[in-house]
Amino acid sequence: MRPKTRIRRFTPLQRLFHLCLLLSFLTQGSTGLARLYIETSWGQGLAWVFGGYETCRTIHIYVGIFLIFLFLTHILYLFSKIKWKEFPRCLFTPDSILLQPKDIKDLIQHMLWFIGRAEAPRFDRWGYWEKFDYWAVFWGISVLGITGLLLAYSLIATRIIPGWGLNIALWVHRIEAILAMVHVFTIHFFIAHLRRHNFPMDRAMFEGSVSLHHTRNEKPAWVERLEQEGKMENALVPEAGAGRRALFLLFGYCAVAIGVFLLIGGMVNSPYITW
Amino acid sequence: MVDEITAAPRNASMAMADLTASQLRGCMRSLLGILSLLLILMTPLAESAWAQGEEVASAIRRYREHEVSTGYYEEYEVKPRRMLPLVEIPGVRRGLFPYSPSAAKVRIRTRLADSHQSIRFYERARCEKCHIEQTRDIHTVRANLTCRQCHGGEPIASIDHYYSPMNPIRRHAYVCAKCHEGSSASFASYVVHTPNPADMDTRKSFPALFYVFWGMVSMTIGTFLFALPHAALWGVRELFIKEEKAEGETKD
Repeated sequence: MRPKTRIRRFTPLQRLFHLCLLLSFLTQGSTGLARLYIETSWGQGLAWVFGGYETCRTIHIYVGIFLIFLFLTHILYLFSKIKWKEFPRCLFTPDSILLQPKDIKDLIQHMLWFIGRAEAPRFDRWGYWEKFDYWAVFWGISVLGITGLLLAYSLIATRIIPGWGLNIALWVHRIEAILAMVHVFTIHFFIAHLRRHNFPMDRAMFEGSVSLHHTRNEKPAWVERLEQEGKMENALVPEAGAGRRALFLLFGYCAVAIGVFLLIGGMVNSPYITW
Repeated sequence: MVDEITAAPRNASMAMADLTASQLRGCMRSLLGILSLLLILMTPLAESAWAQGEEVASAIRRYREHEVSTGYYEEYEVKPRRMLPLVEIPGVRRGLFPYSPSAAKVRIRTRLADSHQSIRFYERARCEKCHIEQTRDIHTVRANLTCRQCHGGEPIASIDHYYSPMNPIRRHAYVCAKCHEGSSASFASYVVHTPNPADMDTRKSFPALFYVFWGMVSMTIGTFLFALPHAALWGVRELFIKEEKAEGETKD
């Protein structure tokens, strides 16, 4: 039995949500960029992987619908997780993922700490950057899902909106997709893989737990709260075996490689397409 | 009524209640009577109203009876009735004075049976010689459509010429539906030759696209103006943490 050195952070269901999101996000990014860049050989190569220009569209639409259902399922999951007995108050506890005044304070203090003007903020369970990433997906899936449905089912959509609304929907879809991809492929990957605290990879979303030692440094308020409330004993789990850890690392870096490939290819080829 | 009055001395207040209840019943009865009388009176009226709604065989008579035309086909016939406030075509200005005096040349060209009439050396020119901007859109670049697949053969009628297949009153059926089966007038108001949304000219020709585009772009730029330096500074700062130097779970 390995020693219990890690704190449980994500349930298997939460990790499954993340895995589904990860896979469908990369699929959507690849098929979408393949179509946007079809004039270039890079885009044609990307489209070839999925079976061509038309097949990319089919995959993009069905995976998009899957994402919308995943999103709706997640909302149902959220409602099932809210402690309705203590309803309004439970949204503002440190365990809540909602943005709170403390997050603004933490953000300012964190940035002051970057330039050596303050102590590092004592983060609780969810850092403000984690909350931002979480709610960004809400915004992104709503915008991309609605514009995507309008574009995919344009004949039905133009019964509700005028046809020139599709011109706008297309541009909103593009810009939002670029925003989402650039954010995930730079900021999210940097925070989860490259910064020293997590290097080479933050396994929390795959293994489900984080190192107690490292978390004591980064999220001291959470660790102290767990100890004070006597929940630490139950929260501790042993580290995953070497084989599983290697698998997580390999999978994580595959996702990073695909993301960086899309990011660089998209940037390099962007002058050669008709927008 | 008589029974109630004789019973009155026994309990005055109860009798009063009974009285009002019976009065109410009477009122309801007379109200129902009036209503049913009205209904009977309205029957012949209603019949004549139904007759008006019947289909009339002659198209011309039907048009006169049921349609009120403003004389401007873009404003009425093109649009399905319920879509009236929504379906508009960006770049097509309407109103009392839809064109500025300087746009007279364009006005004439957009209403001709042969839009290219009296252009010198037209026979030797290709479309993109003048219309290069119109070759840069998804329909041309991605679907590989040629100009003539939508605009038709020579003589190419102006967009707004009354008999042009491109005229917005029939564009959806004559042009768009060739590929987009079942397209409506609303669907056909999609701007195939989408202007560059970043362009200042688009602010006039397609303001909604212009403002939404710049709104989205400023949101994106704003996000990265914050997030990139934030992440970079964070990454650098973490290199200088002393506590985490000692690696190993057993240390604490």
